[in-house]
Amino acid sequence: MKKITIDPITRLEGHGKIEIFLNDEGDVENAYLQIPELRGFEKFCEGRPVEEMPRIVTRICGVCPGAHHIASTKATDAVYHVDPPPAARKLRELFYCAHMIHSHVAHFYALAAPDFVLGPMSDPAERNILGLVAKVGLEIGSKVIKHRAYAQDIQAVIGGKATHPVCGLPGGMSKPITEEERKDFEEKAESLVEFGKFGLKLFDDLVLANKEYLELITGDIYTMNSHYMGMVDANNKVNFYEGDIRVVDPAGKEVAKFKPDDYLDHIAEHTEPWSYLKFPFLKKVGWKGMVDGKDSGVFRVNSLARLNVAEGMATPLAQAEYERMFETLGGKPVHATLAFHWARLIEILYAAERLLELCQDDEITSPEVRTIPTATPDEGVGVIEAPRGVLIHHYQTDDKGIIEKVNLIVATVMNNPAMNMSVRRAAQSLIKKGEVASEGLLNMVEMAFRAYDPCMACATHALPGQMPLEVVIYNCKREVIERFSRL
Amino acid sequence: MRNDNIKTLILGLGNPILRDDGVGCHVAMALKERLQEPEVDVLEASIAGLDFLDMLTGYDKVIIIDAIQTGEGTPGQIYRLNLEAFNATRHAASPHDVNFATALELGNKLGLALPSHIDIFAVEVADTSCFGEECTPEVTEAIPLCVEMIVQELRSTTPKI
Repeated sequence: MKKITIDPITRLEGHGKIEIFLNDEGDVENAYLQIPELRGFEKFCEGRPVEEMPRIVTRICGVCPGAHHIASTKATDAVYHVDPPPAARKLRELFYCAHMIHSHVAHFYALAAPDFVLGPMSDPAERNILGLVAKVGLEIGSKVIKHRAYAQDIQAVIGGKATHPVCGLPGGMSKPITEEERKDFEEKAESLVEFGKFGLKLFDDLVLANKEYLELITGDIYTMNSHYMGMVDANNKVNFYEGDIRVVDPAGKEVAKFKPDDYLDHIAEHTEPWSYLKFPFLKKVGWKGMVDGKDSGVFRVNSLARLNVAEGMATPLAQAEYERMFETLGGKPVHATLAFHWARLIEILYAAERLLELCQDDEITSPEVRTIPTATPDEGVGVIEAPRGVLIHHYQTDDKGIIEKVNLIVATVMNNPAMNMSVRRAAQSLIKKGEVASEGLLNMVEMAFRAYDPCMACATHALPGQMPLEVVIYNCKREVIERFSRL
Repeated sequence: MRNDNIKTLILGLGNPILRDDGVGCHVAMALKERLQEPEVDVLEASIAGLDFLDMLTGYDKVIIIDAIQTGEGTPGQIYRLNLEAFNATRHAASPHDVNFATALELGNKLGLALPSHIDIFAVEVADTSCFGEECTPEVTEAIPLCVEMIVQELRSTTPKI
């Protein structure tokens, strides 16, 4: 048996990279975040029946299969010009609330919380969920695993498959839920609401009660005055499943509100020669480069963006937490990038409350979960709020429903300009005069983009089991002076 | 659905529409056709981190098949690894989730009924960045070999298979 060492540096494909360039004085001239992109998805889809898309897209990404599945299913509704019956819409939303919880919980407890609970500069060997459990107690680990499993169970029952749902069809869902399933979901949802409250209490005790952390959150290093984009319901409350897309400027003023179908009138994409990913911007404001402020078309999506564009949360406990966050951080909108974590916790609570409401809806067990499409298929757009932000699926087919064109804009790409700017700002603030950058300092640079919960390509499962990240620092002669790799 | 007597899980990991990345799924699908024994569950999924815990809990023995890029091997080469191969990779810096070793250690700390024995078969891959349902030729050739290795492995520990 050959013994091998697994070295992520050699896994260049699927490899996130931060490059930091220093000037003559040793200060940061510029910094770039590179995220690899997978190739050929559009071509892969061409020629396939559009109703296969919801099942194919769950394979794009091992992290958010539920988000792609629902966005794609909504796009197939639009392609076939069919409205799903109310029970199907509610069932999709119920499934989707569970998905949101599942994703947000992993991000907060496994990735975000260790930076705060153990400290941003703490030993990286302990700055992880094991360190968190060691410090806060085993029961927190059990709570996390239990509630993630609840969210997963709900998705598996409705989705028909544990990790790659197959339930969405043009015009509805493949099957209704039974009264027994509903009852089980309801019990789980009640527990998830308590878990949502627990998360916010934990954030209070461990983060907000610490003056240093509060200063870190509100400080200059992690601040960016951008536009924000997110989905809202008819009352301008946060909605993950359906609604209009609202955009606010850095002062919080609404500058656009549009139907998902009209996304091309509002979102354009800039390209840079050094990046695989595009740089979306607000078409009507224009691309002014990677700068913030109201004249720049750079916008942000994801949790904090959703809360910033909305006028509140549609459930009572989440609404109270929403008010408290904006009050604590000095009003709306909040530009503190690290507050994405706080907003994520508020969204867990909202998703759990909404889940419970849907479980108690009389119509949720209705067998009427499908409207059979009769119109000729042609073109359609499906938009939802993925855990990471606005997710757009746009398909064009021939009159038999065979895919001719596919356009996807995923949330991580929407945040690409902002993530680059956040990384640069953090690097410029933290690395001065060529001082040797410590692992802790670089972790603080990484915290700037970790807040966005980016999805870096999709091969995350490949051994060694997590996406490695490399940080490279160059001097003014473009020579590599430091290279850190995250194993 | 799981049967209480079933204690071995064969889990193929990967993305079956991302060329070589899906090699673990292809091996698992081939094994599923080959193995009819009720004592063995065969699954395939694109998952990572904490999701492993949900999937592995309750099994005595698990065989995982996945893609690997060591940078040194030739495509199609098959490695047999155990958990010690992952001991160096425990930071929480992943943008998504914790790694496998961390997830297992957490599961053990929390007292979950995790398998006492985990074997990993990893296939050296070439192309994991283009969409497509077929692996590259060298990796395709490795699929039946890997299937055979796993069947032999099962036979050595479970004679009736």
